[in-house]
Amino acid sequence: MKKFRRPLAVVGAGLLLALVALAADTLIIKVQTTALRKTPQFFAPVVANLKLGDKLTKVAEQSGWYQVRTASGLPGWIHGSAVEVSRINLMASNQPMKTQATATEAALAGKGFNKSVEANYRAKHAEISFVWVDRMLQIKIAQAAIQEFLRAGRLGDFRGAK
Amino acid sequence: MSARRILGFGLAAALAAGAAGWVSCSAIQKGTDILGDVGVVNAQDARTIKNLSEAVRNTFGDISEEEEYYIGRSVAALILARYPVHQGAALRQYVNTLASAVAVYSERPEIYAGYHVLILDTDEVNALAAPGGMIFLTKGLLKRCPDEDTLALILAHEISHISAKHGLQSIKKSRLVDSFRILGMDAVQRMAPENVAKLTGLFEEALGDIAKNLIERGYDRKYEYEADAMAVAVGSRTAYDPKGITRFLQTMVGDKSAESGKGWFKTHPSPKDRISKADKLIAAISPLPQLLAGRTARFKQAMAGVK
Repeated sequence: MKKFRRPLAVVGAGLLLALVALAADTLIIKVQTTALRKTPQFFAPVVANLKLGDKLTKVAEQSGWYQVRTASGLPGWIHGSAVEVSRINLMASNQPMKTQATATEAALAGKGFNKSVEANYRAKHAEISFVWVDRMLQIKIAQAAIQEFLRAGRLGDFRGAK
Repeated sequence: MSARRILGFGLAAALAAGAAGWVSCSAIQKGTDILGDVGVVNAQDARTIKNLSEAVRNTFGDISEEEEYYIGRSVAALILARYPVHQGAALRQYVNTLASAVAVYSERPEIYAGYHVLILDTDEVNALAAPGGMIFLTKGLLKRCPDEDTLALILAHEISHISAKHGLQSIKKSRLVDSFRILGMDAVQRMAPENVAKLTGLFEEALGDIAKNLIERGYDRKYEYEADAMAVAVGSRTAYDPKGITRFLQTMVGDKSAESGKGWFKTHPSPKDRISKADKLIAAISPLPQLLAGRTARFKQAMAGVK
């Protein structure tokens, strides 16, 4: 029995390390919408559109960008500011569970300052208008318009362009 | 000590380590329940692990993007309660395109719902950044910008306040700890009414903390200098002339009307100090991006009609 203890503990620790390593490889989208891109650049072609809560598997990292695979196996790149590293996988191999592992996962589970909390706040403060807040958030600038603006101003990726 | 006990201890240690950042609270709760049920950890161990796990969310850095967005919406509403909105649609489109372009080269290009800018119809000189990407520039500030590069640097400064979460850092830590504790109990939608009321109260107090710093008192000077330094870097990366920031600040030196008024001077360090710090950073940039006539022309076109 005595001989048995150490190997078992080592195997257990090894298994945990492997699970932690697995967990670190999952990225979760933390913004409402974003795009998976062909190369690590904002103006690279879009491979797929992604939304809040979508999960990706990390393949590699390069100057602020992650090379990833989607759940359906599509390869591409995503900027680090659009994702957070999921901490949910460690014990999820046995059974699925809702957790507050990361801030985004907590938010997805309905735990947080969210629409319900804003509604309660607004019910208490009818004098504060959200009309212009909603209007400003509806302003959409298309990616093509940003690109054209940069190109015409010889800015960013288009600096030095004629 | 049995093999099972040793393995259990290893698991418990790993779970406790997980509490410092790798594993979730409820995962730990379930884990300790399972281990407790099979007698691997005792009740005391299980409690310790659970208590450690509750420390997972406790600082401004643990606020989710969605929470930051909802805090920012209400901060924006409080700002808009004080100022009328400038109605120029073409100017709004231009400034939003410029902000989106600069954001691409910022420390935080992607944010929950994107970056959005409104012009406030006042001659007061000020710029405000609510958490979550909502930026406000006064007409008085725009009128002091001689070119697009200057406005781009001011937007880079505001985007940097948002990237570095300076607004969220104004929230008193005790409020966050209390909020996270209540949120740890259940999702808002399933919460007991008294907890919903408590959480709403904490939300309101957090908004008060931010509004006080943002609108009334001003951020700590070190945050203003940090945002200037980040703006010089972001502006240069976008190929804007980083001297835009000092061109703007020069217009504020010795300006008694602005100094005695509300806004910028009440909430920012002296322009002379900021200019001297920014100049040192700009001197180290090589090659230094230059102004471009075409950019200044489109800025002047967008500003035509702003009185």
